[in-house]
Amino acid sequence: MTATDFDFETEALSFMDQLYAAALRMTRNGADAEDLVQETYAKAFAAQARFTPGTNLKAWLYRIQTNAFINTYRKKQREPKRSDAEQVEDWQLAAAAEHTSSGLASAEDAALDSLGDDEVKQALSELSEDFRMAVYLSDVEGFAYKEIAEIMDTPVGTVMSRLHRGRKLLREKLKDYAAERGVKDHKAAAKKTGKEVQDGA
Amino acid sequence: MAHKAECEEALDRLFEYIDNELPDDELIRIGEHLKSCPPCEAEHKINEKIKRMVHSTGGEVAPGDLRSRVLATIREARTVE
Repeated sequence: MTATDFDFETEALSFMDQLYAAALRMTRNGADAEDLVQETYAKAFAAQARFTPGTNLKAWLYRIQTNAFINTYRKKQREPKRSDAEQVEDWQLAAAAEHTSSGLASAEDAALDSLGDDEVKQALSELSEDFRMAVYLSDVEGFAYKEIAEIMDTPVGTVMSRLHRGRKLLREKLKDYAAERGVKDHKAAAKKTGKEVQDGA
Repeated sequence: MAHKAECEEALDRLFEYIDNELPDDELIRIGEHLKSCPPCEAEHKINEKIKRMVHSTGGEVAPGDLRSRVLATIREARTVE
């Protein structure tokens, strides 16, 4: 492919909305998100010659934005250390490989329906950055694990563990939000099904 | 309560299943298991629902002035070249 049949500027600019949405998740504030996107494009155009047409431009731009965020914004944002989040999760991961009783599971499933976008956004924003971005890139942007690995500059195994942990935490948060909303049938269901349902065995 | 090896595999691979990251044979095997195991299927449903909920929070549109700022940045870079 030659420079003539690949319009870098047009192609790159077509991802602005997505980069901005991702920047909002990274910085968690509109003004910083705008600055980050502007910086991303400045860096992308400066590095344009290093982009190989025909390869994944969207992932390439996300990678630039992720690096720009780490270098410029992360330092000024006081995030909780990742270890805080990780401590919470080890016990949650241990519990994760088990079934929930089916009564609890269907109550949880139903309770999720009471939540709106704002609560889901809020819950996601409470995750530490690595978990938040892995979940965002997979669930919202639909990137494959390999692409997320490239964007976050980390092995695929790490992406999988971030997704795993991030989603477990997110699910706990959503459960709490739903409970706060006054969804009490959760408890009622737990009482009704005192024993694990393991049928189909 | 101990559960079957198939449950363990399915729950262990659930996110990869949902994210469509499994090779065909595993995808089929786990899909079959989910169909036959209500508690595993319940977990699958919840996680899939959360993924959908997260998905629908996206889609913000860049503010118009950001677009013009970016274009100005590019033009500036072009003139420096």
